[in-house]
Amino acid sequence: MNRSMLSSSPYAHNNQNVRKVMMQVQIAAFPALMAHIYLFGFGIVIQWMLAVATFIVVEYSMLKLRGRPVWPFMSDLSALITVTGLVFCIPPEAPWWVVVSGSAFALIFGKHLYGGLGYNPFNPAMLGYAFLLISFPVQMTQWTMPLDITGSTLGLIESAQIIFNGAAHTHTMDMFTGATPLGELKTSLTQGVTALETLNREPYGLLFGLSAWAWINLAFLLGGLWMVLSGVISWQFPVAFLGALAGMAFIFHQVDPTLYPPVSFVLLSGGTMLAAFFIITDPVTASTTPRGKLVYACGIGILVYVIRNWGAFPDGIAFAILLMNIAVPLIDQYTQPRVFGHKLKG
Amino acid sequence: MNPSNLLSVALRFLAKLYPASKRWLHRFHGGVFPQYYKSLSATQPIRKAFIPEKLILPLEQPVGLPAETLVKVGERVKKNQLLAQASKDPQKALIVPVHAPTSGTVMAIQPMTLPHPSGLQDQCIVLQPDGLDEAIVNALEVDGSHPGSPEALKSTLLHAGIVGMGGAGFPTYAKIPNQRGKIHTLLINGAECEPFITCDDLLMQTRAQEIVQGALITAHALGASKIICGIETNKPEAIRAMQEAASNTPVEIRSVETVYPMGGQKQLTLELTGVEMPHKAHAVDLGLLMMNVATYAAIYRAVVHGEPLTSRLVTVSGLGLNKPFNIHALIGTPFSALAELAEPKVTLDYPLVMGGPMMGFQVQNNDVPVIKTTNCILANPPEPVAMQMPCIRCGECMQACPVNLLPQQMYWHTQAHEYDKVEKLNVFDCIECGCCSYVCPSHIPLVQYYRHAKSEIKAMHAEEKATELAKQRHEFKLARIEREKREREARLKAKKEAVKKEALAEESPSAKKPEATAKSAAEAARAAAAKRAAAQKQSQKSDDSNNPPIPPARLKAIEAAKKAAAQKAQQKNEESSASSKVNREPPKSEQDEKKPDAKSAAKAAAMKAAQKRTQAKKQASTESASEVTSAKKDARQRAIEAAKKRAAAKKAELQPMAEMETEQACSDSAFPQQADVKDNTTAATELTETTTSTPASEKETARRAAIKAAKEAVAKRKAASPSKTEQTENTATPKPDEDKRKKAIEAARNRAAQKRNAANESQQGDK
Repeated sequence: MNRSMLSSSPYAHNNQNVRKVMMQVQIAAFPALMAHIYLFGFGIVIQWMLAVATFIVVEYSMLKLRGRPVWPFMSDLSALITVTGLVFCIPPEAPWWVVVSGSAFALIFGKHLYGGLGYNPFNPAMLGYAFLLISFPVQMTQWTMPLDITGSTLGLIESAQIIFNGAAHTHTMDMFTGATPLGELKTSLTQGVTALETLNREPYGLLFGLSAWAWINLAFLLGGLWMVLSGVISWQFPVAFLGALAGMAFIFHQVDPTLYPPVSFVLLSGGTMLAAFFIITDPVTASTTPRGKLVYACGIGILVYVIRNWGAFPDGIAFAILLMNIAVPLIDQYTQPRVFGHKLKG
Repeated sequence: MNPSNLLSVALRFLAKLYPASKRWLHRFHGGVFPQYYKSLSATQPIRKAFIPEKLILPLEQPVGLPAETLVKVGERVKKNQLLAQASKDPQKALIVPVHAPTSGTVMAIQPMTLPHPSGLQDQCIVLQPDGLDEAIVNALEVDGSHPGSPEALKSTLLHAGIVGMGGAGFPTYAKIPNQRGKIHTLLINGAECEPFITCDDLLMQTRAQEIVQGALITAHALGASKIICGIETNKPEAIRAMQEAASNTPVEIRSVETVYPMGGQKQLTLELTGVEMPHKAHAVDLGLLMMNVATYAAIYRAVVHGEPLTSRLVTVSGLGLNKPFNIHALIGTPFSALAELAEPKVTLDYPLVMGGPMMGFQVQNNDVPVIKTTNCILANPPEPVAMQMPCIRCGECMQACPVNLLPQQMYWHTQAHEYDKVEKLNVFDCIECGCCSYVCPSHIPLVQYYRHAKSEIKAMHAEEKATELAKQRHEFKLARIEREKREREARLKAKKEAVKKEALAEESPSAKKPEATAKSAAEAARAAAAKRAAAQKQSQKSDDSNNPPIPPARLKAIEAAKKAAAQKAQQKNEESSASSKVNREPPKSEQDEKKPDAKSAAKAAAMKAAQKRTQAKKQASTESASEVTSAKKDARQRAIEAAKKRAAAKKAELQPMAEMETEQACSDSAFPQQADVKDNTTAATELTETTTSTPASEKETARRAAIKAAKEAVAKRKAASPSKTEQTENTATPKPDEDKRKKAIEAARNRAAQKRNAANESQQGDK
């Protein structure tokens, strides 16, 4: 009889596998990708392709170097999710070497050096993003102006020219880039302009009076909800994260509306929804117990708010996540569920 | 509509949108929703009975010890005839009798492969059916009345050979408590949550009355007031049939959610009663008793019709079969015979599974027999195994775990060999239901890891215990060596003094008065013997109480005889310690698990030996006392007597000596040196893994070797002793007194030399 078969029960499986999970995450990111293309132009497509090329080269060479089977580990698509997450954080018209170095750093230092998939303590995408934020602050803050401000977006060719050459014939960087709403809010507040005034200056020209950033966030929310319903991600992450962030925003907005933006702005700006559904849900680096997931996501929500309002960076998602990654083993230790028939441990 | 119903309706609606919310519909945590494939066999009618070419009846059930055969090879038996039963207390050994499932001839009684994950082999009665199916009606000789006490019910169940038919196979008579009224709620497990299996479903559809009556009989005997039956919602026909049968009875039929593992005892108990069975507690202690529907049906047939358990409903199903079915299969029918009836799609060159796909196991040989716990024979063609990926900590396993464990943490720690941490995470609460492995996207065989961890932890604890024991033994051994050393020194000292006295006696003038000389020589000898006896008494604390008051003069003579024996004993001791050293060579093999406290055992052995010794001495002394007092004898006569006594004492001594030697060898082997601890512990590890036979048998051989050595020594001594007596007699013959004295001394020396030689020889022989 063939001994290579499963020798021990169960002999059944629900046919889920890592690749399918990752693929579902990738599919869930599509609405946001489409919105991104519509609002910011084709820059992100070029960035994404650059990132994928980097991922293939880096994964192949790292797996070879580490002496691991290449195909099974490349085809698990976990690296694809990492670079996709990273691409959404990079300005669409950032120079090509930004995304390449960021992706390579994320995969090499964020994953492979720790032993590959499943063994990394830090979220690789956020590690790459933090690396880029610190190393190339100028390039990382020059965001392409969205459609609602400029009235038009760059074409594929123009984007490619800017990404690879630094400038196109018809455009200079300053003409189409600027600060993100979060960045603008931060600078305005330092100049003595109140939060409400800054936000009212925003041209709400798009559908239902929502800004481009709000639309991107809603697209992420849509994909995220699908993932929650299909069971790809746990509901604890987005619920606790958004809950904590909204709670913080509500309290401080009530305390001083001139200094602190309203809840709706906080939830629909920056990378809030991206983080809520795609980044903090990375199971490898997140807490695993049900209560632990709540604690972990809550912590990130609070930290994001703190960094946004009192920190040096306009958006604090990367640092908030990395900080909470450190706390995961501790959280897991103290949030173990009660085992059937046992009394809850103190 | 009450709120809980409303909630369940709402959840059911939500489940369409969010499948994970199905888990909120039942009371226990987690669970999975596998593809059931139940219609494969459930839609088919029960196939008509089938008598195979041979039946294999294992003497041992899944739980308990094997029964003793009552039949011989070649004997013709009838259906329901008792073939094997317990020879000892069945209650303690959990022995279940074996009955003939049909009439036929006993072909063989030999070891056969059993349906067991390890492919275990054990004694089976092989029966060749004659096809006549001649039966003994009412084999259990019951009057059909319902037993009024647990004892009466238990006795019937024991004789009927009924075991739990849901899976574990625990003998039912042993499961039922003795006190009436201890069980307040009787639970009927009709959940049948494993995919493919439909035997309970069809049993409930076709024999609902028997199940309900069986439950009522049990409740009547135990004094239980409540009976609840739980059936999964995916068996509507079974629920209907059971409800019909249960109408106008106190039996309550309840449908429970279709979720795996609803049929788990703790899970279904929680679902039906709301009682979460505490960790390590038994259901019986909580006043609950759960049994499978098939078990209740068997109880009914045993109590009312006097039928022993010789057949059961078995599902023969699987994706590899064209015509799956359910059948009332005779116990002992080979799996392959039933699978062939179901028309396999391809030749059955892959292993069949006993039980369902979640908790069943592959059998090592497709010819293994149906046993009382075989609910399903599954023929699923092998599928390519997905590659095991690293754990991505997704937590699916944790969400699926019905016991609310942390499967992935246990997996990480098991991989890291941190078994203490695995134990802390309550791995022993794992019911090995397989939910975690089922949902793992990385295809990690988690349950296998936990099984491994459990066995490792068990081994670890056994090792700790063994180390502790070894430490105690070592300490005891050191103490014993010290004691022996002291004793040896004391004896040596006594001997030296005796020799001095003897030398003094030799020098005393005696040639002129032969009578007097002889007397004085005898006196001197007596004095020396008294001294030696005193020394011996000091060294051997155990025998001082047993000596009856004997006139000191005679005592001396007696003691002389004793002394000779004692010296022998000393030499023998040395010899035996030498032989025990030889025996100690393979120390790990002589580990004996059954000796719970080697220390006390060794002590007991020593005490026994000492007692025997004193007994022998007492015997010798009383004999000699009577003889000596009977008449006045001259020195010569007395010398002869003494010599004879010596020989007798020696002989008397030899038996206990031999025993003591063997026992000492055993105890010594049970006292290995500290360096051997590792070996011991590995041996102990093996011992925990049911393979006790080898160490035990090796120990037996060691013991035999020791006995043999002792016997050889005895033989040598016997060969040596006649010549000695001759010599002493020669010495004693009337001759000039001077010669006589000289010769006596010479003879004594010779004796000593011979003894030494004999000891040396036997020592060499031992080596």
